[in-house]
Amino acid sequence: MIVIDAASPVPPFEQLRAQLARQIQDRTLAVGARLPTIRHLAADLGLAVNTVGRAYRELEEAGLIETRGRAGSFVSAAGQEGRERARRAAADYAAVIASVGLDAAEALRIVQAALAAGAAAPASP
Amino acid sequence: MTREPLPDTGPPTRTTDLRMAGEWLARHDLADTHPTPLLASRLAVRRRARLATYVILAALIIVSALAATSAFGGLQSRRPLPLLALAASVAGLLLAQSLLDRWVRRVDQRAGATLSRRAAHTIQPGWQAVLGRPYAVFAVATFAGALVLAASALAVPDPTVRQPAVVVLIGLLGATAITALQLRHPLSFPVVAEDEESLAADVIMRVEDARELTTPNVQWSLPVVLVGTAPGWWNAAAVAYLLLSLAACVALHARTPSCATVARRAMSVR
Repeated sequence: MIVIDAASPVPPFEQLRAQLARQIQDRTLAVGARLPTIRHLAADLGLAVNTVGRAYRELEEAGLIETRGRAGSFVSAAGQEGRERARRAAADYAAVIASVGLDAAEALRIVQAALAAGAAAPASP
Repeated sequence: MTREPLPDTGPPTRTTDLRMAGEWLARHDLADTHPTPLLASRLAVRRRARLATYVILAALIIVSALAATSAFGGLQSRRPLPLLALAASVAGLLLAQSLLDRWVRRVDQRAGATLSRRAAHTIQPGWQAVLGRPYAVFAVATFAGALVLAASALAVPDPTVRQPAVVVLIGLLGATAITALQLRHPLSFPVVAEDEESLAADVIMRVEDARELTTPNVQWSLPVVLVGTAPGWWNAAAVAYLLLSLAACVALHARTPSCATVARRAMSVR
């Protein structure tokens, strides 16, 4: 189930993106599961088509879903690779932190700031 | 479900509607859920639309019977006017049905627009979850059976049988088109829900509506137009069709899981 709260300070597309990403990552949504069409989900949630489209686009860029033309959007098997990529990037980051001599607490603060900035204004093409 | 009343965007929800929503919830094993104005207004509009649909289908049967008797009864046979009138009536009734659907959808949209939170399924319940294969097979089989009956009456060389069979065929196709129009609602119209409970109620409503639509009231009633004028074997086939489909309908309702169970299953996989 997806719930969009119009009163929340988090933009609706981000609420939608985050909930779908979580359900894909905790495997509530199985690999290969077909997501509702953008138009249908927009009607169900009372959102603009562009809002749902943006959430889907960002999930696709993150490798969590894939769009197969007119067949619709499906949970991608690459979702598991996403975690592996994040783990490898974290290992690289840890190596950089060690090489420049920053302490772990500061390194974590940098990551938290980057994550917060990403959540507040996610990059979109 | 949230307990706050909806912002006033239409007529206030009547106490009767709220009471009936409570009874509806209790009937579907949701007695501990409070009926909200959202649910009450959605159920009320469906009740009224369903009643109007019964009137439309009754009008279709009456118009068919009138067309059969005025076009082909007595000495004035082969008059095309009643057939044209029947076709025009079927078109008019289809239009009335689509207007009814639009009204229900508009009430749903208005109710949805008042919600501060909106909930939806991550995986859309398809026709197999909402209608179910047994009900779909039953609907197709009863339609096919009625179609075969009408077509076999067309094959009878006697024009007093063949001509009312045309009326039955037109009426049958009209009724099927009306049912197909109505089925779009439970199968494809947007969800109106604000939380898990109202989402479950939405699914139950869809399952209930879809099942209701598969009851072949018109398919059972229309062939009666031919009884008496048709040969004995056709009358026997019509009675056999009626009894068999009635038995299948009773068995279907008795042996398939309740709407609430189907809705719970549909909710558990999303």
